[in-house]
Amino acid sequence: MTRNLLHMTWQILLLWLLFRLGSYLVDLLGVSLPGNVAGMLILFALLSTGVVKPALVETGGGFLLKHFAFFFIPISVGLMAFGALMRQSGVALLAILALSAMVGMAVTGISVEFLHKRSSR
Amino acid sequence: MNALHFTGLVMLTVGAYLATRSIFLAYKHPLLNPVFLSTIVIIGALQTGGFTLEDYRPAREAMTFLLGPATVALALPLYNNRKVLIKHALPVLSGVVAGSLATMAAALLAGQLLQLGDGVLLSLGPKSVTVPIAVEISRLSGGEATLTAAFVVATGMIGSILGPTALSLLRVKNPVARGLALGTVSHGQGTAVALMESETAGAMSGVAMAIAAVFTALVAPYYLPLFLR
Repeated sequence: MTRNLLHMTWQILLLWLLFRLGSYLVDLLGVSLPGNVAGMLILFALLSTGVVKPALVETGGGFLLKHFAFFFIPISVGLMAFGALMRQSGVALLAILALSAMVGMAVTGISVEFLHKRSSR
Repeated sequence: MNALHFTGLVMLTVGAYLATRSIFLAYKHPLLNPVFLSTIVIIGALQTGGFTLEDYRPAREAMTFLLGPATVALALPLYNNRKVLIKHALPVLSGVVAGSLATMAAALLAGQLLQLGDGVLLSLGPKSVTVPIAVEISRLSGGEATLTAAFVVATGMIGSILGPTALSLLRVKNPVARGLALGTVSHGQGTAVALMESETAGAMSGVAMAIAAVFTALVAPYYLPLFLR
């Protein structure tokens, strides 16, 4: 149990270092990419080239992914600041967001489903 | 803000998450989305207790500290699904590009129809992209960063609640297609839902989130003005 916890902490620290590395490189090169996505691409490259074995980050990474949704709760609470705007034009804005989300979802979902069926035939 | 408040707000958030998560896992209904339910519970509790968003900020900073490394960890399901990704590189890329363009166009056209100002329209543009990059795009193209951040979070919530049902109604069954659709439109929150559907859907959603972010950042400055009067 204690060993497992230590293992997980160390792996999360490793993932955090990759996140910082990604953020640093993005800043340095002036690319329009968030540091976390850059870190993800770096880790993917390290895994694909075999430099890093999946087992090295699997325990900590698996834990963070299992609770991925958690991180969006504190962020969503920020919606509280927009009470006035929501009372004024909330219905219109929600309608726009819902409609455009469904359009995007349908376009991606249907086109990939279609291309996928065709390519796997 | 004292340590007691801080601890209390963290415990409230973690408690709300654990409770709503077990409710969701028991019934698996999209309306029982843990982020949605927890957010309502927490906002309600903060308002009842007379707390402001400013009071909640330190707790929020602490709790989102691991979002960076968690996003980096998405490389794991991506790596496990690399064969699927390479095999379907073309549908993946074209699906995400088409979806990103479509959702931006739909938002701005509908906004114009409802006679929203240019500032609000430009803030709506990058609403499907993960928060850190959406804010940047918004600023560069003349929108308002805080407004964009709110639109991004609301889109994440709407997409993760309505998305799975909408995709099923449209007979989109393939986990690759479902994951890509959720990630393209609803970024990290969509990815959280996709991860609960299957590992493949989660991996594809992570990919879609990354491609959509990069693609939107590249085209938004030229594409969004096309929809202004």
